[in-house]
Amino acid sequence: MNILNMNHVRVPRMLAVAAAVSIAVASCATAPQSPEGSAEVRSKLSELQSHPTLANKIPVEMREAEAAVVVAEASVGKDVALGEHRVYMADQMVEIATARAATRDAEDQRAMLGQKRDQARLDARTREADRARREASMAQSEVESARASAASNEAAAVAKSKEMQQQIDALQAEATDRGLVLTLGDVLFATGKSDLKSGGNKTLDKLVTFLNEYPDRNVDIEGHTDDVGSLEMNQTLSQHRADSVKSYLTKNGIKSVRLEAKGLGETQPVADNDTDSARQQNRRVEVIIKNPPSEPTASTN
Amino acid sequence: MPVLKRINRMCRLFVAATLAGAVLLVAGCAGTPMAPTAALNDAELAIQAAEKDEASLHAAAELDDARQKLKLAEQAVVKEDMVLAERLANESTVTARLASARTEATKAVAINQEMSRTAEALIEEMQRAGDRQ
Repeated sequence: MNILNMNHVRVPRMLAVAAAVSIAVASCATAPQSPEGSAEVRSKLSELQSHPTLANKIPVEMREAEAAVVVAEASVGKDVALGEHRVYMADQMVEIATARAATRDAEDQRAMLGQKRDQARLDARTREADRARREASMAQSEVESARASAASNEAAAVAKSKEMQQQIDALQAEATDRGLVLTLGDVLFATGKSDLKSGGNKTLDKLVTFLNEYPDRNVDIEGHTDDVGSLEMNQTLSQHRADSVKSYLTKNGIKSVRLEAKGLGETQPVADNDTDSARQQNRRVEVIIKNPPSEPTASTN
Repeated sequence: MPVLKRINRMCRLFVAATLAGAVLLVAGCAGTPMAPTAALNDAELAIQAAEKDEASLHAAAELDDARQKLKLAEQAVVKEDMVLAERLANESTVTARLASARTEATKAVAINQEMSRTAEALIEEMQRAGDRQ
Protein backbone atom coordinates (compact mmCIF):
# COMPACT_ATOMS: atom_id res chain seq x y z
CA MET A 1 0.00 0.00 0.00
CA ASN A 2 2.99 2.08 0.36
CA ILE A 3 3.43 1.97 -3.33
CA LEU A 4 -0.13 2.96 -3.96
CA ASN A 5 0.39 5.72 -1.59
CA MET A 6 3.46 6.79 -3.28
CA ASN A 7 1.71 6.52 -6.64
CA HIS A 8 -0.95 8.65 -5.47
CA VAL A 9 1.47 11.30 -4.41
CA ARG A 10 3.96 11.08 -7.32
CA VAL A 11 1.87 10.24 -10.40
CA PRO A 12 2.24 13.65 -12.05
CA ARG A 13 6.00 13.51 -11.57
CA MET A 14 6.25 9.97 -12.97
CA LEU A 15 4.29 10.95 -16.00
CA ALA A 16 6.57 13.84 -16.64
CA VAL A 17 9.62 11.56 -16.41
CA ALA A 18 8.04 8.96 -18.69
CA ALA A 19 7.21 11.61 -21.22
CA ALA A 20 10.72 12.93 -21.08
CA VAL A 21 12.17 9.42 -21.53
CA SER A 22 9.88 8.62 -24.42
CA ILE A 23 10.76 11.89 -26.08
CA ALA A 24 14.41 11.06 -25.60
CA VAL A 25 13.89 7.59 -27.07
CA ALA A 26 11.95 9.02 -29.94
CA SER A 27 14.67 11.51 -30.66
CA CYS A 28 17.25 8.72 -30.39
CA ALA A 29 15.25 6.66 -32.89
CA THR A 30 15.23 9.43 -35.44
CA ALA A 31 18.80 10.47 -34.79
CA PRO A 32 20.63 7.47 -36.45
CA GLN A 33 18.64 8.01 -39.63
CA SER A 34 21.01 8.45 -42.57
CA PRO A 35 21.13 11.82 -44.32
CA GLU A 36 18.95 12.36 -47.34
CA GLY A 37 20.55 11.03 -50.55
CA SER A 38 22.85 8.53 -48.85
CA ALA A 39 20.60 5.62 -49.83
CA GLU A 40 20.91 6.54 -53.49
CA VAL A 41 24.69 6.69 -53.21
CA ARG A 42 24.70 3.32 -51.47
CA SER A 43 22.68 1.72 -54.24
CA LYS A 44 24.92 3.25 -56.89
CA LEU A 45 27.95 1.80 -55.12
CA SER A 46 26.25 -1.60 -54.77
CA GLU A 47 25.56 -1.63 -58.47
CA LEU A 48 29.21 -1.02 -59.22
CA GLN A 49 30.30 -3.59 -56.65
CA SER A 50 28.08 -6.26 -58.16
CA HIS A 51 29.17 -5.54 -61.73
CA PRO A 52 30.62 -8.78 -63.08
CA THR A 53 33.68 -7.34 -64.82
CA LEU A 54 34.27 -3.91 -63.31
CA ALA A 55 34.06 -4.78 -59.62
CA ASN A 56 37.47 -6.41 -59.25
CA LYS A 57 39.43 -4.04 -61.44
CA ILE A 58 39.77 -1.16 -58.99
CA PRO A 59 40.03 -2.44 -55.40
CA VAL A 60 41.58 0.77 -53.99
CA GLU A 61 38.98 3.10 -55.47
CA MET A 62 36.25 0.69 -54.35
CA ARG A 63 37.50 0.75 -50.77
CA GLU A 64 37.69 4.54 -50.73
CA ALA A 65 34.20 4.85 -52.16
CA GLU A 66 32.88 2.34 -49.65
CA ALA A 67 34.45 4.31 -46.77
CA ALA A 68 32.97 7.56 -48.08
CA VAL A 69 29.52 5.98 -48.35
CA VAL A 70 29.75 4.63 -44.82
CA VAL A 71 30.61 8.14 -43.61
CA ALA A 72 27.71 9.57 -45.62
CA GLU A 73 25.33 7.07 -44.03
CA ALA A 74 26.30 8.07 -40.50
CA SER A 75 23.86 10.21 -38.59
CA VAL A 76 24.59 13.92 -38.56
CA GLY A 77 21.82 14.87 -36.16
CA LYS A 78 20.39 18.16 -37.24
CA ASP A 79 23.42 19.21 -39.22
CA VAL A 80 21.80 18.95 -42.64
CA ALA A 81 24.68 20.76 -44.32
CA LEU A 82 27.18 18.17 -43.05
CA GLY A 83 24.92 15.39 -44.30
CA GLU A 84 24.71 16.98 -47.72
CA HIS A 85 28.45 17.47 -47.80
CA ARG A 86 29.12 13.84 -46.94
CA VAL A 87 26.62 12.56 -49.48
CA TYR A 88 28.19 14.78 -52.15
CA MET A 89 31.66 13.49 -51.31
CA ALA A 90 30.53 9.86 -51.34
CA ASP A 91 28.68 10.32 -54.61
CA GLN A 92 31.73 11.81 -56.29
CA MET A 93 33.91 9.01 -54.95
CA VAL A 94 31.56 6.40 -56.40
CA GLU A 95 31.59 8.26 -59.72
CA ILE A 96 35.39 8.36 -59.68
CA ALA A 97 35.48 4.61 -59.02
CA THR A 98 33.09 4.04 -61.91
CA ALA A 99 35.21 6.13 -64.28
CA ARG A 100 38.43 4.43 -63.18
CA ALA A 101 36.81 1.04 -63.66
CA ALA A 102 35.84 2.04 -67.19
CA THR A 103 39.40 3.16 -67.86
CA ARG A 104 40.84 -0.07 -66.50
CA ASP A 105 38.34 -2.09 -68.48
CA ALA A 106 39.34 -0.28 -71.67
CA GLU A 107 43.00 -0.90 -70.89
CA ASP A 108 42.34 -4.58 -70.34
CA GLN A 109 40.46 -4.84 -73.61
CA ARG A 110 43.31 -3.03 -75.31
CA ALA A 111 45.61 -5.99 -74.91
CA MET A 112 43.01 -8.13 -76.64
CA LEU A 113 42.42 -5.50 -79.32
CA GLY A 114 46.15 -5.21 -79.82
CA GLN A 115 46.37 -8.94 -80.32
CA LYS A 116 43.48 -8.82 -82.75
CA ARG A 117 45.08 -5.98 -84.68
CA ASP A 118 48.47 -7.68 -84.69
CA GLN A 119 46.84 -10.90 -85.83
CA ALA A 120 45.09 -9.00 -88.61
CA ARG A 121 48.38 -7.41 -89.62
CA LEU A 122 50.09 -10.77 -89.52
CA ASP A 123 47.33 -12.34 -91.59
CA ALA A 124 47.60 -9.53 -94.10
CA ARG A 125 51.35 -9.97 -94.38
CA THR A 126 51.09 -13.74 -94.57
CA ARG A 127 48.52 -13.43 -97.28
CA GLU A 128 50.68 -10.96 -99.15
CA ALA A 129 53.72 -13.17 -98.77
CA ASP A 130 51.74 -16.21 -99.92
CA ARG A 131 50.50 -14.36 -102.92
CA ALA A 132 53.99 -13.11 -103.74
CA ARG A 133 55.34 -16.62 -103.37
CA ARG A 134 52.55 -18.06 -105.49
CA GLU A 135 53.13 -15.45 -108.16
CA ALA A 136 56.85 -16.03 -108.02
CA SER A 137 56.44 -19.78 -108.36
CA MET A 138 53.95 -19.27 -111.15
CA ALA A 139 56.40 -17.02 -112.92
CA GLN A 140 59.15 -19.53 -112.23
CA SER A 141 57.17 -22.40 -113.64
CA GLU A 142 56.26 -20.28 -116.62
CA VAL A 143 59.91 -19.55 -117.18
CA GLU A 144 60.72 -23.23 -116.76
CA SER A 145 58.04 -24.40 -119.09
CA ALA A 146 59.05 -21.74 -121.59
CA ARG A 147 62.62 -22.88 -121.27
CA ALA A 148 61.59 -26.51 -121.58
CA SER A 149 59.45 -25.84 -124.62
CA ALA A 150 62.21 -23.72 -126.09
CA ALA A 151 64.63 -26.55 -125.48
CA SER A 152 62.31 -29.12 -126.96
CA ASN A 153 61.60 -26.79 -129.86
CA GLU A 154 65.28 -26.38 -130.35
CA ALA A 155 65.83 -30.10 -130.12
CA ALA A 156 62.99 -30.66 -132.56
CA ALA A 157 64.41 -28.00 -134.82
CA VAL A 158 67.83 -29.56 -134.61
CA ALA A 159 66.40 -33.01 -135.33
CA LYS A 160 64.31 -31.60 -138.10
CA SER A 161 67.14 -29.75 -139.73
CA LYS A 162 69.32 -32.83 -139.38
CA GLU A 163 66.64 -34.90 -140.99
CA MET A 164 66.16 -32.33 -143.71
CA GLN A 165 69.86 -32.23 -144.30
CA GLN A 166 69.81 -36.01 -144.74
CA GLN A 167 67.03 -35.72 -147.24
CA ILE A 168 68.79 -32.90 -149.00
CA ASP A 169 71.89 -35.02 -149.10
CA ALA A 170 69.82 -37.85 -150.48
CA LEU A 171 68.51 -35.56 -153.20
CA GLN A 172 72.04 -34.46 -153.95
CA ALA A 173 70.67 -30.95 -154.06
CA GLU A 174 72.77 -27.87 -153.90
CA ALA A 175 71.98 -25.09 -151.50
CA THR A 176 71.92 -21.76 -153.27
CA ASP A 177 70.48 -18.32 -152.60
CA ARG A 178 67.31 -19.29 -154.43
CA GLY A 179 66.90 -22.47 -152.40
CA LEU A 180 67.86 -26.05 -152.91
CA VAL A 181 68.66 -26.72 -156.51
CA LEU A 182 68.22 -30.25 -157.73
CA THR A 183 69.50 -30.91 -161.19
CA LEU A 184 67.82 -33.66 -163.13
CA GLY A 185 70.30 -34.71 -165.73
CA ASP A 186 69.54 -35.30 -169.37
CA VAL A 187 69.72 -39.02 -168.80
CA LEU A 188 66.10 -38.76 -167.71
CA PHE A 189 65.02 -37.69 -171.12
CA ALA A 190 65.68 -39.05 -174.53
CA THR A 191 67.06 -36.50 -176.96
CA GLY A 192 64.30 -34.36 -178.38
CA LYS A 193 61.76 -36.00 -176.08
CA SER A 194 60.04 -34.63 -173.08
CA ASP A 195 58.84 -37.89 -171.60
CA LEU A 196 60.61 -39.07 -168.52
CA LYS A 197 62.59 -42.20 -168.92
CA SER A 198 61.64 -44.89 -166.53
CA GLY A 199 64.26 -45.64 -163.90
CA GLY A 200 65.33 -42.07 -163.52
CA ASN A 201 62.46 -41.58 -161.26
CA LYS A 202 64.31 -42.56 -158.11
CA THR A 203 65.54 -39.02 -157.76
CA LEU A 204 62.05 -37.68 -158.39
CA ASP A 205 60.62 -40.10 -155.83
CA LYS A 206 63.00 -38.71 -153.26
CA LEU A 207 61.80 -35.25 -154.25
CA VAL A 208 58.20 -36.32 -153.74
CA THR A 209 59.08 -37.64 -150.29
CA PHE A 210 60.81 -34.41 -149.46
CA LEU A 211 57.94 -32.24 -150.65
CA ASN A 212 55.46 -34.34 -148.70
CA GLU A 213 57.62 -33.93 -145.63
CA TYR A 214 57.92 -30.18 -146.04
CA PRO A 215 54.58 -28.94 -147.28
CA ASP A 216 55.64 -25.31 -146.90
CA ARG A 217 58.25 -25.65 -149.60
CA ASN A 218 57.25 -24.63 -153.08
CA VAL A 219 59.10 -25.57 -156.17
CA ASP A 220 60.20 -23.91 -159.39
CA ILE A 221 60.82 -26.35 -162.21
CA GLU A 222 63.05 -24.97 -164.96
CA GLY A 223 63.71 -26.76 -168.16
CA HIS A 224 66.96 -26.15 -170.08
CA THR A 225 68.36 -27.36 -173.41
CA ASP A 226 71.58 -27.24 -175.38
CA ASP A 227 71.89 -25.09 -178.45
CA VAL A 228 71.02 -27.82 -180.93
CA GLY A 229 67.96 -26.76 -182.86
CA SER A 230 66.12 -23.51 -183.06
CA LEU A 231 65.60 -21.25 -180.04
CA GLU A 232 61.89 -21.60 -180.36
CA MET A 233 62.02 -25.35 -180.50
CA ASN A 234 64.37 -25.49 -177.56
CA GLN A 235 62.12 -23.19 -175.58
CA THR A 236 59.16 -25.42 -176.28
CA LEU A 237 61.14 -28.54 -175.50
CA SER A 238 62.41 -27.15 -172.22
CA GLN A 239 58.89 -26.14 -171.28
CA HIS A 240 57.62 -29.60 -172.06
CA ARG A 241 60.33 -31.23 -170.02
CA ALA A 242 59.58 -28.97 -167.09
CA ASP A 243 55.87 -29.71 -167.49
CA SER A 244 56.61 -33.37 -167.60
CA VAL A 245 58.45 -33.22 -164.27
CA LYS A 246 55.60 -31.21 -162.83
CA SER A 247 53.00 -33.70 -163.97
CA TYR A 248 55.05 -36.53 -162.50
CA LEU A 249 55.07 -34.72 -159.18
CA THR A 250 51.35 -33.92 -159.26
CA LYS A 251 50.59 -37.52 -160.10
CA ASN A 252 52.48 -38.44 -156.97
CA GLY A 253 50.34 -36.24 -154.81
CA ILE A 254 52.06 -32.85 -154.80
CA LYS A 255 49.60 -30.03 -155.30
CA SER A 256 50.15 -28.20 -158.54
CA VAL A 257 49.90 -24.79 -156.85
CA ARG A 258 53.23 -25.53 -155.23
CA LEU A 259 54.82 -26.23 -158.56
CA GLU A 260 55.72 -23.77 -161.26
CA ALA A 261 57.14 -25.10 -164.52
CA LYS A 262 59.11 -22.82 -166.88
CA GLY A 263 60.88 -23.48 -170.13
CA LEU A 264 64.09 -21.47 -170.41
CA GLY A 265 65.33 -23.07 -173.59
CA GLU A 266 69.06 -22.68 -174.28
CA THR A 267 69.39 -19.31 -172.53
CA GLN A 268 71.09 -20.54 -169.38
CA PRO A 269 73.76 -23.07 -170.21
CA VAL A 270 75.93 -24.39 -167.43
CA ALA A 271 78.70 -25.28 -169.85
CA ASP A 272 79.85 -24.34 -173.41
CA ASN A 273 77.96 -26.25 -176.04
CA ASP A 274 81.27 -27.25 -177.69
CA THR A 275 81.42 -30.89 -176.75
CA ASP A 276 78.88 -33.65 -176.37
CA SER A 277 79.47 -33.92 -172.66
CA ALA A 278 79.11 -30.18 -172.25
CA ARG A 279 75.91 -30.18 -174.23
CA GLN A 280 74.67 -33.05 -172.12
CA GLN A 281 75.25 -30.95 -169.00
CA ASN A 282 73.19 -28.18 -170.50
CA ARG A 283 70.27 -30.47 -171.22
CA ARG A 284 68.70 -30.60 -167.82
CA VAL A 285 65.79 -29.78 -165.62
CA GLU A 286 66.53 -27.86 -162.44
CA VAL A 287 64.16 -28.24 -159.61
CA ILE A 288 64.52 -25.34 -157.22
CA ILE A 289 63.06 -26.06 -153.81
CA LYS A 290 62.41 -22.56 -152.58
CA ASN A 291 63.26 -21.55 -149.05
CA PRO A 292 60.17 -21.12 -146.91
CA PRO A 293 59.62 -17.45 -146.08
CA SER A 294 59.72 -18.04 -142.31
CA GLU A 295 63.09 -19.77 -142.00
CA PRO A 296 65.30 -18.59 -144.80
CA THR A 297 68.48 -19.98 -143.27
CA ALA A 298 67.26 -23.48 -142.44
CA SER A 299 68.30 -24.98 -145.72
CA THR A 300 71.71 -23.43 -145.78
CA ASN A 301 72.70 -24.82 -142.42
CA MET B 1 22.61 38.69 9.77
CA PRO B 2 24.37 35.47 9.00
CA VAL B 3 21.81 34.51 6.37
CA LEU B 4 22.23 37.74 4.48
CA LYS B 5 25.95 37.45 4.71
CA ARG B 6 25.75 33.94 3.26
CA ILE B 7 23.58 35.05 0.39
CA ASN B 8 25.93 37.87 -0.38
CA ARG B 9 28.88 35.53 -0.46
CA MET B 10 27.04 33.16 -2.83
CA CYS B 11 26.11 36.02 -5.05
CA ARG B 12 29.68 37.12 -5.33
CA LEU B 13 30.81 33.64 -6.08
CA PHE B 14 28.20 33.36 -8.77
CA VAL B 15 29.22 36.62 -10.33
CA ALA B 16 32.84 35.59 -10.26
CA ALA B 17 32.08 32.27 -11.83
CA THR B 18 29.96 33.92 -14.47
CA LEU B 19 32.66 36.41 -15.18
CA ALA B 20 35.24 33.67 -15.40
CA GLY B 21 33.01 31.75 -17.74
CA ALA B 22 32.46 34.79 -19.85
CA VAL B 23 36.16 35.47 -19.99
CA LEU B 24 36.79 31.90 -21.02
CA LEU B 25 34.14 32.10 -23.70
CA VAL B 26 35.47 35.36 -25.02
CA ALA B 27 38.99 33.95 -25.00
CA GLY B 28 37.76 30.94 -26.91
CA CYS B 29 36.17 33.06 -29.60
CA ALA B 30 38.72 35.81 -29.65
CA GLY B 31 41.44 34.23 -31.95
CA THR B 32 40.57 34.12 -35.71
CA PRO B 33 40.01 30.40 -36.58
CA MET B 34 42.61 28.73 -38.81
CA ALA B 35 41.88 28.64 -42.52
CA PRO B 36 41.80 25.10 -44.05
CA THR B 37 44.98 25.74 -45.99
CA ALA B 38 45.77 22.10 -46.71
CA ALA B 39 42.31 21.39 -48.11
CA LEU B 40 42.44 24.51 -50.30
CA ASN B 41 45.86 23.51 -51.55
CA ASP B 42 44.64 20.03 -52.42
CA ALA B 43 41.76 21.49 -54.39
CA GLU B 44 44.07 23.82 -56.29
CA LEU B 45 46.41 20.94 -57.17
CA ALA B 46 43.57 18.64 -58.22
CA ILE B 47 42.17 21.34 -60.51
CA GLN B 48 45.59 21.93 -62.07
CA ALA B 49 46.01 18.19 -62.65
CA ALA B 50 42.59 18.01 -64.31
CA GLU B 51 43.45 20.97 -66.54
CA LYS B 52 46.67 19.24 -67.51
CA ASP B 53 44.67 16.12 -68.44
CA GLU B 54 42.60 18.27 -70.83
CA ALA B 55 39.51 17.80 -68.69
CA SER B 56 38.18 21.00 -70.26
CA LEU B 57 37.69 18.96 -73.45
CA HIS B 58 36.23 15.77 -72.01
CA ALA B 59 34.73 16.69 -68.60
CA ALA B 60 34.14 20.42 -68.80
CA ALA B 61 31.14 20.45 -66.42
CA GLU B 62 33.02 18.66 -63.63
CA LEU B 63 36.05 20.89 -64.01
CA ASP B 64 33.81 23.94 -63.87
CA ASP B 65 32.09 22.65 -60.70
CA ALA B 66 35.46 22.10 -59.06
CA ARG B 67 36.59 25.67 -59.86
CA GLN B 68 33.27 27.07 -58.62
CA LYS B 69 33.53 25.20 -55.32
CA LEU B 70 37.09 26.38 -54.76
CA LYS B 71 35.96 29.97 -55.32
CA LEU B 72 33.13 29.51 -52.78
CA ALA B 73 35.61 27.98 -50.32
CA GLU B 74 37.83 31.03 -50.62
CA GLN B 75 34.84 33.30 -50.06
CA ALA B 76 33.97 31.27 -46.94
CA VAL B 77 37.52 31.79 -45.66
CA VAL B 78 37.06 35.55 -46.04
CA LYS B 79 33.82 35.24 -44.07
CA GLU B 80 35.77 33.20 -41.51
CA ASP B 81 33.38 30.26 -41.93
CA MET B 82 36.21 27.78 -41.86
CA VAL B 83 34.02 24.70 -41.53
CA LEU B 84 32.18 25.57 -44.72
CA ALA B 85 35.45 26.52 -46.37
CA GLU B 86 36.98 23.16 -45.66
CA ARG B 87 33.94 21.27 -46.88
CA LEU B 88 33.83 23.27 -50.10
CA ALA B 89 37.55 22.77 -50.61
CA ASN B 90 37.16 19.02 -50.20
CA GLU B 91 34.21 18.96 -52.58
CA SER B 92 36.28 20.93 -55.08
CA THR B 93 39.11 18.39 -54.81
CA VAL B 94 36.90 15.35 -55.29
CA THR B 95 35.09 16.98 -58.22
CA ALA B 96 38.38 17.87 -59.93
CA ARG B 97 39.50 14.27 -59.48
CA LEU B 98 36.27 13.08 -61.01
CA ALA B 99 36.94 15.38 -63.98
CA SER B 100 40.35 13.73 -64.39
CA ALA B 101 38.94 10.22 -64.03
CA ARG B 102 36.21 10.81 -66.60
CA THR B 103 38.71 12.38 -68.99
CA GLU B 104 40.96 9.36 -68.69
CA ALA B 105 38.06 6.99 -69.26
CA THR B 106 36.95 8.89 -72.36
CA LYS B 107 40.46 8.85 -73.78
CA ALA B 108 40.91 5.14 -73.03
CA VAL B 109 37.68 4.24 -74.78
CA ALA B 110 38.63 6.43 -77.76
CA ILE B 111 41.97 4.65 -78.08
CA ASN B 112 40.20 1.29 -78.07
CA GLN B 113 37.78 2.41 -80.74
CA GLU B 114 40.69 3.56 -82.88
CA MET B 115 42.46 0.24 -82.41
CA SER B 116 39.49 -1.86 -83.27
CA ARG B 117 38.82 0.35 -86.29
CA THR B 118 42.36 -0.29 -87.46
CA ALA B 119 41.98 -4.03 -87.00
CA GLU B 120 38.65 -4.08 -88.77
CA ALA B 121 40.01 -1.99 -91.62
CA LEU B 122 42.83 -4.49 -92.04
CA ILE B 123 40.50 -7.44 -91.98
CA GLU B 124 38.19 -5.78 -94.46
CA GLU B 125 41.14 -4.91 -96.68
CA MET B 126 42.28 -8.51 -96.57
CA GLN B 127 38.87 -9.84 -97.47
CA ARG B 128 38.78 -7.50 -100.42
CA ALA B 129 42.26 -8.60 -101.43
CA GLY B 130 41.08 -12.19 -101.01
CA ASP B 131 38.11 -11.56 -103.30
CA ARG B 132 40.40 -10.12 -105.91
CA GLN B 133 42.48 -13.25 -106.08
